[in-house]
Amino acid sequence: MWDELIDDNGEPRAAAAAVVQQLQELGLSELQQRQDLAELDIVGMGITFTVYSDGRGIDRAWPFDIIPRVIAADEWRRVELGLMQRLRAINAFIDDLYHEQRVIADGVFPAALLEHSVNFRPQCRGVSPKYGVWAHICGSDLVRDADGTMYVLEDNLRVPSGVSYVLENRAISKRAFADLFAQQSILPVDAYTDELKRMLASLAPDDVADPTVVVLTPGIFNSAYFEHSFLAQRMGAALVEGADLVVGDDDCVYMRTIDGRERVDVIYRRVDDLFLDPDEFRPDSALGVPGLMRAWRAGNVAIANAPGAGVADDKVVYAWVPDLIRYYLHEEALLPNVPTYRCVYDDERQHVLDNIGEMVVKPANESGGYGLLIGNRASRTELDEAIANIEADPRNWVAQPILSLSTAPTLCDGRIEPRHVDLRPFILSGAGQYVTAGGLTRVALRRGSLVVNSSQGGGSKDTWIVET
Amino acid sequence: MLLSRVADNLYWGARYLERAEDTARVVRAFTEVLLDLPVGVASSWEPLLAVAGSREAFEAGHARRAENDIVHFLVADSANFGSVVASVAHARENLRTTREVLPREAWQTVNDLYLYTARDAESGVDRRSRARFLGRVISESQRLDGVISGTMQRDEAYEIWRLGQAVERADMTTRVVGVRAAALLATTAATVNTATSTATTSTTTTSTATDDFDEVQWMGMLRSLTALQMYQRATRGPITGEGVVSFLLFDHEFPRSVAGCMQRIRSALSRLPRADRTLPECDDVDALLSGLRADAGDGAALDQAMDRVQMALGRLSAAVYDTFVRAAE
Repeated sequence: MWDELIDDNGEPRAAAAAVVQQLQELGLSELQQRQDLAELDIVGMGITFTVYSDGRGIDRAWPFDIIPRVIAADEWRRVELGLMQRLRAINAFIDDLYHEQRVIADGVFPAALLEHSVNFRPQCRGVSPKYGVWAHICGSDLVRDADGTMYVLEDNLRVPSGVSYVLENRAISKRAFADLFAQQSILPVDAYTDELKRMLASLAPDDVADPTVVVLTPGIFNSAYFEHSFLAQRMGAALVEGADLVVGDDDCVYMRTIDGRERVDVIYRRVDDLFLDPDEFRPDSALGVPGLMRAWRAGNVAIANAPGAGVADDKVVYAWVPDLIRYYLHEEALLPNVPTYRCVYDDERQHVLDNIGEMVVKPANESGGYGLLIGNRASRTELDEAIANIEADPRNWVAQPILSLSTAPTLCDGRIEPRHVDLRPFILSGAGQYVTAGGLTRVALRRGSLVVNSSQGGGSKDTWIVET
Repeated sequence: MLLSRVADNLYWGARYLERAEDTARVVRAFTEVLLDLPVGVASSWEPLLAVAGSREAFEAGHARRAENDIVHFLVADSANFGSVVASVAHARENLRTTREVLPREAWQTVNDLYLYTARDAESGVDRRSRARFLGRVISESQRLDGVISGTMQRDEAYEIWRLGQAVERADMTTRVVGVRAAALLATTAATVNTATSTATTSTTTTSTATDDFDEVQWMGMLRSLTALQMYQRATRGPITGEGVVSFLLFDHEFPRSVAGCMQRIRSALSRLPRADRTLPECDDVDALLSGLRADAGDGAALDQAMDRVQMALGRLSAAVYDTFVRAAE
């Protein structure tokens, strides 16, 4: 097991030395007091997320553990390069899929997989977003295995959330550990919203001098509403709902203001593809804007992420990313994928079938863990069933070795204990690229648990990129 | 640029918060006045219901009209739409969807106030802790006012905020004047009549006593609008019914007078788009006010006149909605 702060000999890792020393000096009761104060700050600052219970959304205080997760700056720079490389390839891939599909013609990506993709949108064929970029904002989940290798676990390209908590966690942890921030150089995270604003503005149609950028939210009942509001506030952009927008006869998008209609140039949408435009996707969607796709195709408005970008947010495409990097960029991946065996290929399928007891088997096109099998926790009957499923429809299955996620010291009921963590950095792509300094560290607060989702008992930590 | 939906939420957010603060002020002042009055002198808490405009709602749900029932209803009852605790909750709900246009500290202040009222509202009922609870509601509201006036861009959102606040405040002042002043003027008139008809009996002393308490009541009324000190500074001579009514309705310099609020309303509307559609409604309110000077001493006429001003303010509010929200649909 790899711990983020402590090495195998029980000594602090170099970048974490100051934090570990401070934790020892403070002692548990002082630490608990600071934790309590941080929680008060979170309530007072109204930092919340929404959980659903009995069909009602309840606003909960954001769960936060004050002990930071520390990453050395030189390691982080390599991760950053790897993430940017990844997104360049992914964007080239999406753009290719909606144009000539060279990647299929050249035999790199199987045509059959695209036919089965639930996130490919034929409505987007032939559209050319600026810079060839479709996935402008990506949240990639990283995990570290027992040997310390950092892997990409998945790329969230549709409406990834969590970045507001990166900034809020930092604000809270500066209060909790002001002295540590004074002593060492911890990379700031605040620039994100400025970078986001600049990137979004750069997407505006070319003839617009001073573009109007808006954030499109499904509304206050969405679990990420806090973040939508936060980002709009930080960018000084209007936070709009579908009903605030209207597409005119001129195929331009307008918002309804107290002074009549005003033109919108860029939409940072936090609404899923299928709800964007009831004229072209789900006709029952009340969250979208009729005619929006028409305006987008006409080039009168930019949408980030572009409709259809989700085609690459998929366990199948994930497995191909190293090949895509090679194909489009003629480079080797700087940041490894978790080795992923694609059952559509005979040799890889055989490996899965031979080692199924030590694999996580995932259906390619389902999300939310449905149909997922963890080999070493499954019964013989479950394993046999999985084998039968794979053999019946190999295209629909991928498998990965079981990773042992790294841990970080976490304050649990007055004691410091190791808990499993992951990391979600955010990558912006426009004319250039930008990666958050660190990202959102999510922590599974229950002992032994690997579930980091805040809706299921997960918490969060501030992530410190420390110069050593 | 301000979205119509956001404008609507801001306008009502400002109104709900102003209502919470005003209700807190009225309940606090009323409590202080009643403590000064001797047992048996007009110690009913029902006028509070009339000022809050929620007599019917209260009577539908309550058999008893004791102090604690009424104060609980006005302060801590989340089922009463106009209570302090409910107004703050509505304001927070409205402002949650306008966080991107308000200064961040403003939202935090509203959120603090909400957390406090949601937790401690019951302490606003008990006489021993009532003043402290209401005082905190008032001072948090003032803090919010300070945050907004000290840090907010003078943009359309700011003007909408000022507008909502001034409309609600004007409405509350007319209700205090309509209910309290009208009642006091009526009893004063009645006392004078009684004193005249039974001049031979010993009513002289009681009459003097009631007059004293009248003064206490007029002072209480000024206090409920935080107007006592400013009234004293602005007016020479003793506190008189006519003086108080005229101060609360017409003194342009006092920010809680109806005239003062109308000035703010006009100023906000004239900085917002399409003022030609909204300002005429202000003319109506002002016309009603200026026609009123002659009635200032007559309780019943004053009460009716205040009703008419409230209706005109309602029409103003409707014009604001039509112009800023509905017209963009």
